[in-house]
Amino acid sequence: MTTTIQYILSGLAIGGIYALVALGFHIMWSAARAVNFAHGDTLMLGAVLAVVGVDAEIPLPIACLLGIIAGAVFGVLLERFAIRPFTATSNSIGWMLTTIAVGVMIESLATLQFGGFSRPLASPGVKSAVHILGAGVYPQELAIPVFALLVMFGLKLMQRHTLVGRAMQAVAHDKRAAALMGINVNRIVAFSFALASLLGAAAGVLVAPVIQVSASMGALLGLKGFAVAIIGGITSAPGVVISGLCFGIMEKFVEGYISTAAREIIGFSVMILVLLAFPHGLFGKREVLKV
Amino acid sequence: MRYLAPVCFFIFAAILVAVPLTAGNEYELRLFMLFLIYGIIAVGLNVLVGLAGLVSLGQAGLFALGSYSGAILSTRLGFDIVGSCIGAAIISGLFGVLLAYPTVRVRGVYLAVVTIAFGIIVENVAIEWQSLTGGTTGLSSIPKPNILGIRLSGFAFYGVLAVTLFVFTLLIHNLKISRFGRTMLAVAQSETASRALGINSTGLRTLAFVISAVTAGIAGTFYSFLNSYISPDIFTFSDSVRFLLMVILGGAGSTFGPVIGAYLLTYLPEYLQQFQLWQKFAYGALLLVVMFALPRGIVGTLQWAFNRLRPPAPALAATEGLPVETTLRHEKKMLAAELVATALTVRFGGLSALSNASLRVKGGEIHALIGPNGAGKSTFVNTISGFYRPDEGRCELDGVELTGRRSLDIARLGLARTFQNTELFGEMSVLENVMAGYDQRLTYGLTQALLRTPKMRREERECRQTAIGLLAFVGLSQYANEEARFLPFGLQRRLEIARALAGRPRLLLLDEPAAGLTTQEIDDLEAMVRRIAALGVSILLIEHHVDLIMALADHVTVLDYGQVIASDNPTAIQDDPRVIEAYFGAPLDRAAAVGAGA
Repeated sequence: MTTTIQYILSGLAIGGIYALVALGFHIMWSAARAVNFAHGDTLMLGAVLAVVGVDAEIPLPIACLLGIIAGAVFGVLLERFAIRPFTATSNSIGWMLTTIAVGVMIESLATLQFGGFSRPLASPGVKSAVHILGAGVYPQELAIPVFALLVMFGLKLMQRHTLVGRAMQAVAHDKRAAALMGINVNRIVAFSFALASLLGAAAGVLVAPVIQVSASMGALLGLKGFAVAIIGGITSAPGVVISGLCFGIMEKFVEGYISTAAREIIGFSVMILVLLAFPHGLFGKREVLKV
Repeated sequence: MRYLAPVCFFIFAAILVAVPLTAGNEYELRLFMLFLIYGIIAVGLNVLVGLAGLVSLGQAGLFALGSYSGAILSTRLGFDIVGSCIGAAIISGLFGVLLAYPTVRVRGVYLAVVTIAFGIIVENVAIEWQSLTGGTTGLSSIPKPNILGIRLSGFAFYGVLAVTLFVFTLLIHNLKISRFGRTMLAVAQSETASRALGINSTGLRTLAFVISAVTAGIAGTFYSFLNSYISPDIFTFSDSVRFLLMVILGGAGSTFGPVIGAYLLTYLPEYLQQFQLWQKFAYGALLLVVMFALPRGIVGTLQWAFNRLRPPAPALAATEGLPVETTLRHEKKMLAAELVATALTVRFGGLSALSNASLRVKGGEIHALIGPNGAGKSTFVNTISGFYRPDEGRCELDGVELTGRRSLDIARLGLARTFQNTELFGEMSVLENVMAGYDQRLTYGLTQALLRTPKMRREERECRQTAIGLLAFVGLSQYANEEARFLPFGLQRRLEIARALAGRPRLLLLDEPAAGLTTQEIDDLEAMVRRIAALGVSILLIEHHVDLIMALADHVTVLDYGQVIASDNPTAIQDDPRVIEAYFGAPLDRAAAVGAGA
């Protein structure tokens, strides 16, 4: 029983990270029908800069904030210079490879500056564990899924009640029509990438105290975030958050009862199977084929 | 130009022979052998990326699968290098089929993620399945390459690799210039149009995946023999990126591009080693530079520059082609091409786009289907040609049931169509577009394509001549070598008609062929439709243009709100009150009467 609770709670923590990353993919995809394959590295950037900031004796909250802002700037620059030049072509190979290239470069730069080893980020959230039904977790871990849910509801509120949110929805629905209604589509896309990258970097800062920070931490987290977005349906914000949390829990159980390698095997197999059975994801909208 | 490919293959062979003779030491030769192995992967991946237009970022997974299969077969079961290669090719080929399956439903970035996931799964299975794969420590003591127990010397193994790469490059070149290469390109550019021409897009994608998987599997086996040690960390995601980059850097879709790309990316890391920590960074930067500066790749850019510099290719002489009268005409007794649609109903959500619509196109007639915007005309066409499934009702062509068949099968039964918004294979030449339309009439298979047998050459010649004849028929001979997307709109419509006719249909569906044409072009179209009908092809014409319909149609059916409101000869239709009401609203006196009655 204790083990079960333990797996669920730590699964929710890592699942919250997947949910935040996947929400970023959802926002980018809605705006541009393209995503940043270096989104995992945005997460890494946030976490690494926070650690570097603390090293330079900047107070923790400011270091974290700087890391998050840097992540957002990174996302905007990437959209402008690596993705936008390639979205006009029908083939997605262009922006996939340019963003992968930038990811490789950022990761090696981070390795050069940060060293090839892992370090934790000290945070008040991991000072002492709390016990719930015998399972020990850090308050930080409990905060992550709550934050993911808050972001999801916040996004919904923004889309309903603010001008920029409604413009985002219009762009997601039909770019050309949105442009004809006087919406500056490029600015909305840039804003969306900024928002997505902000969430990605925030996920990095949030997860940094729980897992070790390293230059290579982003690749797998980013990929799993995308897998979660596909499972949940990349067009549905609640869908990706729910599947993110479930995916995290599933991973912890597989990891606990079998092994880490089995965790990756089963996780990605689930993604492929879901995609075959539900091409639009579990909660995604179906797009009607027109001839 | 004709001798370019043979000359290139000759130079390639000369280089492969010269290198071992001049190699300074064993390390140099070994590095070159590594290039040959990567070349095999890249050449195979080119079919998937360059021809079928699909992105695989999991090629390292297939490479690993081949390596492990080959290594296990040789260490555990004592297979020689040929046996191991065959075993590895079969295993990775099966996984190629498995990977192709998702493409039925998803493509683009989703497919890329599926392939990435596949690579990660393979890597982790290799870690997890310790009893078979040795886990993280991997497999060592793989025997030296041997054939039937006779050990191969270093040079003999080199010979095996060089011959394999040369043969694969040649075979894939042959595939590229056959119907398979042509239709793979067509499917990559417009799946919808391909289906309407009877091209089996799923089959072609599966073929592309299997070719790229088999080559990766064989290359993997060679790699394990060359290295005599393999472990899971040799086959990572960054290797998949590297294999893809080889194809793109060299030139996707070209014959020698992937070989050149593989060469550069085998030797470049050696050169970059002096930068040590910056090596990975430089690698990412290179990828970025290629994407921006050389998106066509090295060979692709050279070809493009060459094509711009040389004088335009001479227009094809119409005498080269076969006249349409001999290639398209149907026997008089075959003239019974009759399309019968009975009580078709199609619903989208709560909306009935078609309700209980029936129509009968008699053999050899020009039948017009008209109706106001939103009347359900396009739905009707898409239902008959198999793109939509009717909720109720059925249709048949000459007594053969069409309902429930795939659109490609319907096309093969003799029903061709054009599209309201033209769906050409934009990056292929005008001539190739028509030749793609001819595909359903070709009978030669994969082996014949790979070996370029006399039968294959004869059929290709007929295909080409028929296509040239068709271009003359629609008046596009002088544009035969242009890319289809550069044609003006009116000519694109004509090209679409020529392409649809290439399959020798019995019934031609023209979906608003006059939309967007000038008056002069509409007159030309009218004459062309008459000449098509004279060949014995029944025509269903969906149109708005009343003059055209009155001039051409033998019979007119009118749709409104998804229902057939009239079906008669053109003059009777012109006077039909229901038709007038549908187009112009109720006449004033009747509207007044209705108003008074209420």
